[in-house]
Amino acid sequence: MKKVLQVSGVTKRFGGITAVGGVSFDVFEGEILGIIGPNGCGKSTLFNCILGQLMPNEGSVKLDGRDVTGMRPCDLNRLGVSRTFQLLQVFPQLTVRENLILSGQEHQGSMAGRLFGRRDAGLGAEADKMIGFFNLGHLAGEKAGGLSYGQQKLLDAAMAFMAGPRLVLLDEPAGGVNLTMLESLKERLRAINAEQGATFVVIEHNMEFVMSLCTRVLVLAEGRVLAMGTPAEVRANPEVVEAYLGH
Amino acid sequence: MSTLINLIISGLATGSIYALVAIGFTLLWQTSQTINFAQGEFVMLPAFFMLAAMNAGFPFWAAILIGMALSMLILGVAFKRMLVDPMLKHGVLPLAIATMALSLAMKESVKQFYSAEAQPFPSLIPSIDLHVLGAVVSTQSLGVLAVGIGAVVALQFLLTRTSVGHQMQATAQNPTTARILGIPVERMIMYSFLINAGLVAIASVLVTPLYLAKFTSGETLGLAAFIAAIVGGFNQVRGAIVGGLLLGVVDNLAATYISTQYRAAVPLMLLIAVILFRPQGLLGSAEERTV
Repeated sequence: MKKVLQVSGVTKRFGGITAVGGVSFDVFEGEILGIIGPNGCGKSTLFNCILGQLMPNEGSVKLDGRDVTGMRPCDLNRLGVSRTFQLLQVFPQLTVRENLILSGQEHQGSMAGRLFGRRDAGLGAEADKMIGFFNLGHLAGEKAGGLSYGQQKLLDAAMAFMAGPRLVLLDEPAGGVNLTMLESLKERLRAINAEQGATFVVIEHNMEFVMSLCTRVLVLAEGRVLAMGTPAEVRANPEVVEAYLGH
Repeated sequence: MSTLINLIISGLATGSIYALVAIGFTLLWQTSQTINFAQGEFVMLPAFFMLAAMNAGFPFWAAILIGMALSMLILGVAFKRMLVDPMLKHGVLPLAIATMALSLAMKESVKQFYSAEAQPFPSLIPSIDLHVLGAVVSTQSLGVLAVGIGAVVALQFLLTRTSVGHQMQATAQNPTTARILGIPVERMIMYSFLINAGLVAIASVLVTPLYLAKFTSGETLGLAAFIAAIVGGFNQVRGAIVGGLLLGVVDNLAATYISTQYRAAVPLMLLIAVILFRPQGLLGSAEERTV
């Protein structure tokens, strides 16, 4: 299988504290990799290192074999990498549809092009498709800030898929989402994975969500890789049980 | 009754000028947390650019264009690059204090280098009294109102109906995500400074024929714009419009029906009432910020 993302020896220190210490793993095309671990084990820091929001002290990140360590998030975005956020990051005063259109744009070109170009930048149809896909049809014209938390999470996910990304990193997509919404989110993610062939990396606290969604799971503890394997293997690993699952 | 109509129309005209200045004020706050206490002086200065251009022999229309261009350059680009960018690193409050210093520097410079005397300023719109339904309405008021509304409509169109407008809104609402999406956040912020410079220059052309060009003429305007922005709602462009128009009318009615002496106090009472009972402003939404 083709490696989409190669993380090798990524280390991030904040002062004397090593938040992520020499983490290595590969992500294969089309898979859904889950990253789990207790609070403060370095999951989000690892994500931020991969996505160029933090520069790792050591190690490298490769996308399709190309070194992208420390590359700016917006440039990574253009290479087909997008992300969702643990805390919501939608634009509250814009409508659902406008949010989607904004996140699908390349944001390049001249001032005149922006002023007189098409308002939907030719992405209206794509946005409507995504709205239909995530069952947001009745909310398309609503301001994003007026949506419920779960609906905003769906919008956040939909935004990440607007640019037709090859690799999507989802930071706690299930956090604060109610059970019904959770099922529909999981089902949508699976469908989009099958349809677009996009590769996912999911950070999540919700064990059930990860175990039922992901093809492989990586367990992080105190900034290091504790175990990696299929959900069943990870569940059976005594160290994992000790560190995380067991109580 | 005819006096009332007259007062309301001329109040709306003054109010539309307040609104232009207040919109610029809220735009700067939204995109770069700049509370510009020199906003009044920003309105005073372009008139002097235009007067200087006319003294140099340019016709009035050319002087307006020169004044606009200088305003964009100095009150837009230079203001952002030389004052806002370096000061914002130290926080919102140091920047606000720096703009107070800027307002003093602008006033004193005009007094020093141009004149301390009030200068007459030609009007863009000829002043003819029209008789409408028994009321006397000046074409100047109507013209000011029309230009004010035109500018506001154009701005609203830009912000809500164009791609660049959406990018500017995204920058104001969530700069982090905007940056990750690849929106040129810095350029969007610069656009808001240029728009503010344009708005104050337009306000300057409209207001100066009424009150003459004087180094102190920004004081009342700055205060009015500040009150209008707070009354309407600091984080909403349409709040600034409503606040501005309301203030213009209230101001005019108070001068006639209450007392000219208390005229200046009425907007302040309105401000206090709004802060007491609806601190987010008439149209604003509550905003939380971690400090």
